[in-house]
Amino acid sequence: MTMLLHNPRSWSLAVKLSLTLTAAIAAVGFMIGAVMIVQEWKRFHDELGEKALLLAETIAITAPKAILRRDNWSLYLSLKNLAMGRPGTSGIHEITTAMVLDANGLVQAHLHPADNPMTYPFSPPNASEKVLLKQAMGARKPIVLSGSGFTKDNFQEGIVPLFSDQKYMGVVRVRLSTAQLYDKAIDSALIILAIVFLFVIVGSVLGILVSRRMVKPLTAITQGLEAVGRGTMTEFSPIPVKEQDEIGRLSITFNQIMAELAEKKILEEEIAMSEKLVALGRITAGVAHEVNNPLAGLLNCIDTLRKHPNDKQLIDRYLPVIDQGLHRIKDIVHSLLVGLRIEESDETISVEDIDKLHHLITAEIGNRNIAVSWHNNVIDNLQVPGRLEQIICNLLKNALEILPNRGHIGFHMYQNKAHLIVEVSDDGPGIPPEIRSELFDPFFTTKANGTGLGLWIVYRLVQSMEGIIQVISEEGEGTTFHVAIPVKSHKAA
Amino acid sequence: MRHIYLVLLLLITPIHAVSVEPPIRFGLTAVVLTENLRFLDQWSEYLEEKMGREVEFVLRKSYREVMDLLRSGGIQFAWICGYPYVQASNSNLIELLTVPIYRGKPNYQSYIIVHNSSPYKRLSDLENKIFAFSDPDSNSGFLYPMSLLADKNEKPESFFRHTFFTFNHAETIQAVSDQVADGGAVDSYIWEYLAIYRPEITEKTRIINKSPEFGFPPVVSRTGADADMVNLMKQILERMDEDPAGKIFLSRLKLDGFNRFPDSLFNNIRDMANSVQMTAIRKYATKPSR
Repeated sequence: MTMLLHNPRSWSLAVKLSLTLTAAIAAVGFMIGAVMIVQEWKRFHDELGEKALLLAETIAITAPKAILRRDNWSLYLSLKNLAMGRPGTSGIHEITTAMVLDANGLVQAHLHPADNPMTYPFSPPNASEKVLLKQAMGARKPIVLSGSGFTKDNFQEGIVPLFSDQKYMGVVRVRLSTAQLYDKAIDSALIILAIVFLFVIVGSVLGILVSRRMVKPLTAITQGLEAVGRGTMTEFSPIPVKEQDEIGRLSITFNQIMAELAEKKILEEEIAMSEKLVALGRITAGVAHEVNNPLAGLLNCIDTLRKHPNDKQLIDRYLPVIDQGLHRIKDIVHSLLVGLRIEESDETISVEDIDKLHHLITAEIGNRNIAVSWHNNVIDNLQVPGRLEQIICNLLKNALEILPNRGHIGFHMYQNKAHLIVEVSDDGPGIPPEIRSELFDPFFTTKANGTGLGLWIVYRLVQSMEGIIQVISEEGEGTTFHVAIPVKSHKAA
Repeated sequence: MRHIYLVLLLLITPIHAVSVEPPIRFGLTAVVLTENLRFLDQWSEYLEEKMGREVEFVLRKSYREVMDLLRSGGIQFAWICGYPYVQASNSNLIELLTVPIYRGKPNYQSYIIVHNSSPYKRLSDLENKIFAFSDPDSNSGFLYPMSLLADKNEKPESFFRHTFFTFNHAETIQAVSDQVADGGAVDSYIWEYLAIYRPEITEKTRIINKSPEFGFPPVVSRTGADADMVNLMKQILERMDEDPAGKIFLSRLKLDGFNRFPDSLFNNIRDMANSVQMTAIRKYATKPSR
């Protein structure tokens, strides 16, 4: 799990797709939410401004006459009633301050009379208030002034200038606090966020469902391809197709391919089986032929000996022939058994054991004029499969047999990365191109007394080690056998 | 259309009217708290029952409007302040009907009040300050502070920085408690009344000057009104303390009763009015908006 978290690239497509969908839905949802919240706040703010203006207008109806008549008390009462409410009503609590100033900026009425005595100039407590006062006194038509920023201390102020017969009389200022608005906006923002959150959750669940449904066929295709890799595509069951979209069409095509592959596999198995039968037939025919040949001579010899049981000369002449024939049959059967009974084995030998073959072949050469160049470039303690010894032995004997009384045999063994390479060469007559394809067939031989099983056994041994055998031959120049065996865990510890 | 209504009115009126006589109209001013309309309804019902006629209380903003109604015959009775009484009694417009008894006496005072937190101790401390008067025709709320200033050879417009009228003693108290005005002149009866029913307002004020005792605002009748009706009203009011229902109303008004007193009760107001330069008052008084 932790590894999964650390490596997002290895996440399943279903997870990535649903996460992407969720992220997209969340991003869109929260963006819409944010826009809604901002809009809502602006709307509330504007409404508050309109309300402040309306309240200021209400005061402004009677204010000019009251200023003219010095009726400060009724001006004050109208401000107070607006804010505190008449008996039995609650009033408008958002009003933080309200005032009526005359044309000279003198207070005619103020909601907080103790700090702002009437007939004195209104004194703003700070610089920003000073600016606001200037704006309010400068206004010649109703405006809304607001503080800046999204804070609890913010306000919207309705400014209504007073005129009597086109003469400027002063100004009414009614300021409403945004504190309640702020709370209202926070409440509605919470509701919007909750809705968006719900929306995101529902969207994510839907996203997961949709992406799983989309990815399901892809997962099935991946499993199908893995089955192809293992060669078990016949066990693959077709992907159910529900949609006719791209993935649906892909599924249909994939099902067809898999069906064809399965068919092909069955066909190949059948072909392999028949090839096996053919090979078996060929071996059987070869055995029959090779065994039958000496048998006819042997039966003849026995028949002749039976007719002349006391002819010592005949016995002396025929017994070696019978012996030779029976030995040949024994050799053939033995070789066949060796070639057919190759089994997996982990038996290993050291490289030095291979070098012993050098002495063996030298002994075999005897007094023939054949030179052997031996190059073993493999590190001494390398462990090699035991069957390699037999392969090299067969190849060396083969070379020795092919050479006339003089010549040269080369042996070279080395390691090339993951492969152990063995090259056995001779400068004999070479192999004619027309028989090269039959070289490793059982019972194929060009030698008078050969069984035709030597190279077949080599081929079988190399195959059993998942190796490769190659022949490079030029007529009159010689032949080289390349054997490459993968080095598994044969290295000595 | 109007004719049809008139015909309908003529048809309906005899059936529905309890009495063909027009209602008795009784003017009330700021001398009593007129905010409690339910109380006034109950009181008028009480008077109706005793009088055998419909009684209607008529409320106006200023004393002058009530006095104008008396002059025009729009009302037969009125409960007015001592100052308009002495002004009108000279012109034979009204007759003294009865005088309320407050705390055992037919007297009240004028209080000069300031905010509780203020440092002012006497009227002279209020120089160049804002002062609230009740009504330009009020004795306690205007004439008395004017006479105090006249004694110092001062006029309100030069002594105070700014003055205004509230046309209501209760609102003058409110103006001082809210610090709209630095000081104000009010009726002692109203101040004491509020001290019982709305102490949160009076607690914010402090009395720095109490006037000598004046005749309590009297109930008057219009000269020339039906003598039987006037006598009946006088009897009913003066006997309110004798029946339980009347006692309840009196206790709500914080009064002991009504009784007959001579016109001389208002002589000190009369003297004060004469001593104050009438021209200055006339010039200064603002005409009410209605």
